[in-house]
Amino acid sequence: MLPEGGQRVPVTNVILRPILLISLVLVPVLGAEEVAELRLEHEDKFVPFLQQHCIGCHGPEKQKAELNIEALLENGKPKIEDRREWETILELIMAREMPPENKPQPSQELRSDITAYLEAHLDSFDCSGPTTAGTVTARRLNRDEYRNTIRDLMGVTFEASEAFPRDEVGYGFDNIGDVLSLSPLLMEKYLDAAEAIVDEALLSHISPWPPVQRFEESDLTPKGGDAVRIVRERYLGLYREGAGEVTYEVATAGQYLLRVRAFQDKAGPEHAKMAVTVNQELVAEVDVTAEGRQPEIFRLPVQLEQGKALISVAYTNNYVDSRNRIPELRGDRNLFIDYVEVEGPSSVPRPPLPATHTAIIPRQPQPGEEEALARQIFQSFASKAFRRPATSNEVDRLTALAMSVFEEDETTFEEGVKVGVTAVLASPHFLYRWELDDRQIESEARVLGGHELAARLSYFLWSTMPDEELTQVASSNQLGKLPVLRAQVKRMLADPKAKALVSNFTGQWLQTRNLASVHPNPETFPDFDESLRASMQQETELFVQSIVDEDRSVLSLLDADYTFLNERLAKHYGIEGIKGDGFQRVALDRSSRRGGILTQASILTITSEETRTSPVVRGKWVLEQILGTPPPPPPPNVELLEETKEALASASLRERLEMHRASPDCAGCHAKMDPIGFALENYDAIGRWRDTDGAFPIDPSGKIVGGIEVGGPDDLKRAMVQNEKFVETLSEKLLTYALGRGTEYYDKCAIDLIVEQLKANGHRFSSLIDAIVTSEPFLKRQRLPTS
Amino acid sequence: MKPSWNLSRRHFLRGLGAAIALPSLDVMATGTKAAAMPTRLGFFFVPNGVNLEHWRPTRVGANYELPRTLKPLASLKNDFSVLTGLTHNSGRANDDGAGDHARSGGVFLTGAQPLKSEGAEVRAGRSVDQVAAEYLAAQTRFGSLELGTETGRPYGKCDSGYSCGYSNNISWKDETTPMAKQVNPREVFERLFANEIGTEVKANQSERKRHRKSILDFVLEDANSLQGKVSHNDRIKLDEYLTSIREIEQRIDRAEATGSEHEDLIRGFVAPEGVPDAFEEHVRLLGDMMVLAFQTDVTRVCSFMFANAGSNRAYREVGVHEGHHALSHHQSRPEKLAALAEINRHHVTQLSYILQRLKATKEGDGNLLDHSMIVYGSAISDGNRHNHDDLPILIAGHGNGAIKPGRHVVYPQDTPMCNLFNTMLDSAGVPVGLFGDSTGRLRHLGA
Repeated sequence: MLPEGGQRVPVTNVILRPILLISLVLVPVLGAEEVAELRLEHEDKFVPFLQQHCIGCHGPEKQKAELNIEALLENGKPKIEDRREWETILELIMAREMPPENKPQPSQELRSDITAYLEAHLDSFDCSGPTTAGTVTARRLNRDEYRNTIRDLMGVTFEASEAFPRDEVGYGFDNIGDVLSLSPLLMEKYLDAAEAIVDEALLSHISPWPPVQRFEESDLTPKGGDAVRIVRERYLGLYREGAGEVTYEVATAGQYLLRVRAFQDKAGPEHAKMAVTVNQELVAEVDVTAEGRQPEIFRLPVQLEQGKALISVAYTNNYVDSRNRIPELRGDRNLFIDYVEVEGPSSVPRPPLPATHTAIIPRQPQPGEEEALARQIFQSFASKAFRRPATSNEVDRLTALAMSVFEEDETTFEEGVKVGVTAVLASPHFLYRWELDDRQIESEARVLGGHELAARLSYFLWSTMPDEELTQVASSNQLGKLPVLRAQVKRMLADPKAKALVSNFTGQWLQTRNLASVHPNPETFPDFDESLRASMQQETELFVQSIVDEDRSVLSLLDADYTFLNERLAKHYGIEGIKGDGFQRVALDRSSRRGGILTQASILTITSEETRTSPVVRGKWVLEQILGTPPPPPPPNVELLEETKEALASASLRERLEMHRASPDCAGCHAKMDPIGFALENYDAIGRWRDTDGAFPIDPSGKIVGGIEVGGPDDLKRAMVQNEKFVETLSEKLLTYALGRGTEYYDKCAIDLIVEQLKANGHRFSSLIDAIVTSEPFLKRQRLPTS
Repeated sequence: MKPSWNLSRRHFLRGLGAAIALPSLDVMATGTKAAAMPTRLGFFFVPNGVNLEHWRPTRVGANYELPRTLKPLASLKNDFSVLTGLTHNSGRANDDGAGDHARSGGVFLTGAQPLKSEGAEVRAGRSVDQVAAEYLAAQTRFGSLELGTETGRPYGKCDSGYSCGYSNNISWKDETTPMAKQVNPREVFERLFANEIGTEVKANQSERKRHRKSILDFVLEDANSLQGKVSHNDRIKLDEYLTSIREIEQRIDRAEATGSEHEDLIRGFVAPEGVPDAFEEHVRLLGDMMVLAFQTDVTRVCSFMFANAGSNRAYREVGVHEGHHALSHHQSRPEKLAALAEINRHHVTQLSYILQRLKATKEGDGNLLDHSMIVYGSAISDGNRHNHDDLPILIAGHGNGAIKPGRHVVYPQDTPMCNLFNTMLDSAGVPVGLFGDSTGRLRHLGA
């Protein structure tokens, strides 16, 4: 469909249409020399084209959309530095949005020549000059990195994906420094999170050891009638023989100390006698000599066995005589108990404090050494959290903060330290990874410092902070040495934490994370459920993990003779003999019609609509994620494919799509996308094999990018394996992920080297990682004047 | 340690029916003589344009008949106006090519042309709600509230070379910082009313607040120490951090200044649970949060995305199984247009609920709707054409007398939408020159 008011293109033009594909179809099959010739030839047409069609509105005279094309030229050629602008221009010319429809239009052939020239020119960048390492913007920890870093730093599980808003995505990944923003809402959540994490990891009060339990007068059960009762809510008064009793649960057998605080009303010849028994066995009988409400404390060691201990404190020698002849012997003797304490077991050592606590606060300070201990704690903790040695100023300030809480709030030392630790977790030095440029030199790339490099490595391979070994190597200034660096990378890849690379990188590169949000229509696909969804995801992750673990060729991502299945997914694939929910490695033969990511249900499902497959989306996915050549977006105001009942019954999806793209505006891009999708049409919208779509037989044949005839999925896989763009695309995407920035025109040199090294090493996964971590953009940093 | 307000959501909804009897601002105001009530501003976004045939009244002025889509607003007919002819010129391609949906989100409250980018830089403009929020912030605990029902597609680009930031946000703090919105009603409640809820929390709250202030001072110094050591793009990050910290500091100060006078009201309130499955319930719970926030004057500004730009939600509850975005490319087919109108009406029904809640909430001599101005609409007119002129826009509320609703007003072709925003800012007492691409104030709105 044409834009409204647009001119109708004569039908005959449709035949000429394939010429538009010249850059896309012809170039890959031509040799390098021929490409160069092609470019030279079209170069002559470039400036005249601009003058005739562009400069009028986008030149020195007029700058519509603030665009002056002349300023983007050097010696009549596009400036490579302005690659972004040129790519936009290229896209608009290709999509026939420029020149606008009310202006004279170039011939279709000229349009194709110009875009072919522009594409080729923009790819030609001279790598012989000094290299440009590029600038990485400070990266805020994204949700995965935050969770992992908190796990490793604090020993606490914190579900950041539930607590924080989604991270922004740029260049297909959620770890791009430029894009990851911070709003007041998120900062507030960081503060809340820091407090919650610190509360979970650290104790505020450390109870004394051995533990003490006190039973006040009201906890004691009076025995002995009315004569035993509470007086003035403070004492248990025993006015005649009687006792106060309490049952104590002994958790651990051992040596205990009973403390009884008591006094007497003195009368008669003796002091009041107090008998203390445990489970009817006498511990001691003592004379209580204190009187006049000045109690004394009796300390009675006792061995207690596990279980209930009935503690009884009894008064055994009551005396009342108000009429004695001798006035001194007149009186009423009573006993008063203030409390009973049980302390113990003293023979058992203190159970360890939580490991999360002692990892940060190793011990309790002796009185007076609080400040020194705080300093020691923060020197160590802030250095870990900031991923570099903490400065003395930082340690001073943290110590001062903790001490002010401790002293001014009259709280515990631990509480003070907690406030300091919370501040560290809210600090920009923790939440962001900074690579600071203290120097004023702008043009020259600098080698990263050891700690900067260690952080890049660990967040690349582990999505978390450096561990102790990596930090030590960084501190010793050895990490920049390639053999040391390589040894660390090897160690890190073998660590279970490297699973983060697979789930975070491939989940976003292959877009399998989108599986969580697909909703196949339950009426069309009653089979689809959560267990199938999870199984799809699991297959792809295990498969990619196996490439990493077994250091296989990255080409086997596209074509492998094995995969990982459980019973549910095997049935889905029509593969017999797999039992249970657990995944197992399964060898595949041709009859399975599976092997490699393109045939995995995860990919096939995320590239489908809710009720049907979408050859367009599958084709677009392959062009974008596998070949790195995303088609331009559709021109405005295009009609979508009709989905009415009549339309569905009228022809196969393929035929309907072919009719749809008969429109000249659509044909160019759809000729690239659709055939790739058609080759996968035998897999339905949730990845099951089928031979027909409704009433119509599937025709998976077609001519894909590069003019290659394919007859189905096997041919498609072969063509993808042979297409050099795959390795280049994978390298570029992994470099983007590793650096946390989009690749620029000058990164082409680094990417070329990575691809070369990969090829020279049989495309082994480890050589890809090696090539990336030893590339200039990864090892260096440059402060660009206008970035 | 579960606070006592943790009752069921059903209970909450039921409670709201009667919740109108809750004490509100006017109770607090007794004895002070009914001072002028503050003006509240709401900005509601719906995606994908509308079926104009069932949206636009045929007659102009007060005696118009409600078209089908607007029928759910019948009882509020004198509380809102239909505005025809408003345009967001910066939503148009203007040489940027495809991506009308992303642009419609980016332009809706900013009037600025969103920068076509999916990576390094997102840039639109400062949004009208944030201009108001900054000015009004000193008087309330929160400058503004950002709500929505969809968090947005997490990965990949959202629309033809535009970052998802444009499709998933309408509120922009400044031209590079979209304001993240909240979708979970419970989190909104807890954030707004943390001061009033939970007894245990409260016990050590003052201590915690004091500690938090020390922490903020500390990290502010950390951030300041980075100044001068960072280059261009790092400075943007640092500025975001500094702005966030300062904002939180101000909020704590404001909370201290305003105290927690609404404590009883909030404690009597049953907090919503998480995100409900049903769209209708979700929108209404969030709407309730807005009403409650206005009622307790914790904020005076709210933006609300009923769905993200280009949303393809299937509204099965009203019998529409195809996705909204797919349907909006209706190709003038009657069955698609009918389904589209059904979705539009479904959205307007939720709007009606929220407006009625405002109206039922007494304040001073009137009600909250009397003291509010709520804009509702889309920055795309017809989903099939993706045009950004002749937008479907409603304005509801009386803005403390600044607006005389109850009419269908038609403006000349290409009248900037920002003229409406300018008028609203004036009425709320926010001093501002020309906002966005505004050319002046909108006429025929006032009394």
